[in-house]
Amino acid sequence: MTIFQRPEKPNESDSNAKSVAREASNNPESAESKRTQGNYAQPVAPVASVANPQNTSNPRGAPMTSVISKALKITGQLESSEDIQIDGQIDGDVRGVFVKVGSNAKVKGTVYGDQVELAGTVEGKIEAKKVVLAATAHMSGDVVHQDIRIESGAFIDGHCKPDFGKTDAKSAAPKPASVVRTAAE
Amino acid sequence: MFAVPRNRTGKPSGRDAADLATSHLGRALTVRGRLDSDGEVHIHGNVLGRISADSIVLGATCTVIGDMVARQIRVLGRFSGRIFALDVTFDASAQVEGKVFHHKVTVARGAHIDGRMPWRPLNYFDSLEQLPETQP
Repeated sequence: MTIFQRPEKPNESDSNAKSVAREASNNPESAESKRTQGNYAQPVAPVASVANPQNTSNPRGAPMTSVISKALKITGQLESSEDIQIDGQIDGDVRGVFVKVGSNAKVKGTVYGDQVELAGTVEGKIEAKKVVLAATAHMSGDVVHQDIRIESGAFIDGHCKPDFGKTDAKSAAPKPASVVRTAAE
Repeated sequence: MFAVPRNRTGKPSGRDAADLATSHLGRALTVRGRLDSDGEVHIHGNVLGRISADSIVLGATCTVIGDMVARQIRVLGRFSGRIFALDVTFDASAQVEGKVFHHKVTVARGAHIDGRMPWRPLNYFDSLEQLPETQP
């Protein structure tokens, strides 16, 4: 191992720490056990930033919203602790924080979230603290919510139940301020 | 399926059109199931299942387990499974386990690759309507 390390050192001997880190990452046994992103990123960082401009700009430029474009169809479940924007087609359940279903999107399944904005089609169920149905929304199924806004022109075939959060949902439902308490649950 | 002449001739080549067809799966997103796209898919989160698209980019933070079918694939993160693509690029941060069926492949210095990389002629990818269930 050290023999192979040697020719590398003169080329990239900016710092000792770098070569030590490189050695650690090249050692398969030790690197395999604790290869975390932070550990791994150090020696590779300059390469990665050059080779992958869109990856580095994406997390910083925009908050890491996931976008399901209209060209994408997903069969299965989606789970995220961040926002999801759906413009494509999904057969399965979606879990997110702020879930936006675009006007050409179609979801067959349950959409869970703190806030769900629907401008497309959902066949299934919506369970969210705050639900917004835009004028182009087509909702076939129940809506479980705490706070709902329905624009003129929206289609709903199902029940709207102010049961989200179950216990004190009825008292919280009329208050629009209930949206603020997203993390309370 | 992914013949070379198959390109997006119907779509204008402007940036808007490209963005519309590009999906981003963020770092916090986990998908279990199947992804099918005609456009580009960028994955920074976790995917368990099959992905097929025109172009796939696995970001440095991703973990993908399953099969990928595409015309073009670029890997910067972790992948385990099978790749079927005309053009495959592994960047230095890639960690790959499995089989890579390719026509052209690029492997950057530093990429961790554990598996076989069988070359296939172009017509293999043309007729790739459904994946071989057993590993050939």
